[in-house]
Amino acid sequence: MIARLVVRRLFFLIFVLIGLSVITFVLSRVVAGDPARVIAGPRASRAQVERIRELRGFDDPLPVQYVAYVRDLARLDFGESAATKNPVREDLGRYLPATLELAFYAFLLSTVLGVPMGVLSASRRDTAVDHLSRVVAITGLAVPVFWLALMAQFLFYGKLGWLPDGERLPFGTDPPRTITSLYTVDALLTGEWETLRIAARHLLLPTVTLAYGSLAVVSRMVRSGMLEVLNQDYIRTARAKGLIQRRVIVRHALKNALMPTVTTLGLQIGLLLSGAFLVEIVFSWPGIGRYAVTAIEKIDYNATMATTLVIALIFVGVNLLVDILYLFLDPRISYE
Amino acid sequence: MSTERTAVGAGVDAPPLPSSRPVVGGVATGTNRERTHLRRNLHRFLVGNRLNLVGVVIVGTFLVLSLAGELIAPDDPYRPAPAVELATTALQGPSWSHLLGTDEIGRDVFSRIIAGARTSLQVAVVVLTFAVAIGTAVGAISGYLGGLADELLMRLTDLFLAFPALVLAVAVAATLGRNLENTMIALSTVFWPWYARLVRAQVLSIKEREFVTAGRSIGLTPGRLLLRHILPNAVSVVIVQVTLDVGYAIAATSALSFIGLGAQVPSAEWGKMLADSRTYFPDSWWLFVFPGVALTLTIFAFNVLGDGLQDALDPRSGRR
Repeated sequence: MIARLVVRRLFFLIFVLIGLSVITFVLSRVVAGDPARVIAGPRASRAQVERIRELRGFDDPLPVQYVAYVRDLARLDFGESAATKNPVREDLGRYLPATLELAFYAFLLSTVLGVPMGVLSASRRDTAVDHLSRVVAITGLAVPVFWLALMAQFLFYGKLGWLPDGERLPFGTDPPRTITSLYTVDALLTGEWETLRIAARHLLLPTVTLAYGSLAVVSRMVRSGMLEVLNQDYIRTARAKGLIQRRVIVRHALKNALMPTVTTLGLQIGLLLSGAFLVEIVFSWPGIGRYAVTAIEKIDYNATMATTLVIALIFVGVNLLVDILYLFLDPRISYE
Repeated sequence: MSTERTAVGAGVDAPPLPSSRPVVGGVATGTNRERTHLRRNLHRFLVGNRLNLVGVVIVGTFLVLSLAGELIAPDDPYRPAPAVELATTALQGPSWSHLLGTDEIGRDVFSRIIAGARTSLQVAVVVLTFAVAIGTAVGAISGYLGGLADELLMRLTDLFLAFPALVLAVAVAATLGRNLENTMIALSTVFWPWYARLVRAQVLSIKEREFVTAGRSIGLTPGRLLLRHILPNAVSVVIVQVTLDVGYAIAATSALSFIGLGAQVPSAEWGKMLADSRTYFPDSWWLFVFPGVALTLTIFAFNVLGDGLQDALDPRSGRR
């Protein structure tokens, strides 16, 4: 049964992948205007533009071009960046780890703080924890992440001078030996403690600002899930049996309350990756968000589209995993 | 900022929202009883929940500022100070002559924030009008016809939801070219799928009700049934979503402007003002504190108002 559902999800994945490629193809080849002119640059002569058009196959019918486009994508060939003159794949390989490191810690933070916060504010309503969680929820959904980042930078770097203003490591510091390309993990694995400390300090502000919005969403989801569960009969039974409050909450309520949260956690990846675009600019974080923004300024379509595609792929992949995970967690679910 | 919404995952069908009561005859038919009823509801909405009152006040201020900004703004938000005076008028901190200070070419920040309210409102109105129109059309057709049409339209909708919203908006706006009009188009492309889902879920549940069956049995055409009988009953749910989305649309616009898409020089837009302020970071703090406050308060107020409306229309969904 589960196998059939998983296969269905995989079919949907194929459909989404085709759709994504069609959308980015249409955007970069049809909407963006003449791709040959873009590559040739504004000063190229008409003959030069024509030559590029022929050379790159831009004069072929669109379906033919699309097939070639997909063939390139399948080989992870995103073309050359007009701005950096490198293959976009190389650029992405260089910048992606920084974004992943940032998003990973932000995800960790919002989950590790958000779940207990939601549980506590549901089980101890109208206490300090509950009020705090309400403030986080309201501000987390209203404060734009880039303004939060600016204000955090203003306070902790500009006024107090406690934390660095950006980048992954200060200028002149060598990154740890590359194993995973996540500086903190690599430093930990190679035992470069000083680098680990510095990298962690640099990560702190970007991570916290990025995590704040999803902390709000996660804690609210857990809270309302908990409240729903706590009203149910089996919880009353558990209490009537004489179980202590903590055991009722942790062993009986939390498990069921967390079900809807799993989906939310998957969707947070989308929030975190798009938030990374903004946070990375404020903190000069050398990730794909900042790479894409620079690409936009330089009208570098290949780089812009590749970044979009990569982020969408991560998002789709994570949500697929979550859906499949859900099938195992909750046997009642069937995606019919 | 949350440009991603707290909703269901791409590919998994949205649970149908609890449907509201059927709209019969509209609100303002003017009988005394209905008027008292309306007043009592309004009282409960505003006084029963203080947060709603705060939301209404801020949204009201925002609307007044965006519609009648010229009358209130102390200065011209666009005209730079004369070059000879720049030394004394540019980048001045808050004072009695310029309550929120001046920017790098001597413009009054307070006046520019007021002008920014109009920009935000304009974008939100245009984006949501398109999103609601497209989304309603798709959702209504999909929900009413069912079958293959439904399958195709909904898979198309899912496809747009498979991108993180802001990232798709960035890609579209970037390919169309950097200006505010293209940003509006880009945001419309990311907002419509939510309305398609919402309206579809509504249509699915409403079309099973007796009054629709009755309408069908007296030979009403599908078009008339949809437009005159089914969709009017979905309006309240769409209005709640629109109220919530004004905040999201303003947030998304400012985010796009912040990264260099969206509003361009010399237009007054809060996200753009924040982006420009970074050159004078951290000394000219008034350049990035005040526009951010305006932005946050506005998003906050629309969120609160949307939540409040949702609770008022459907008490069961109440945030406990």
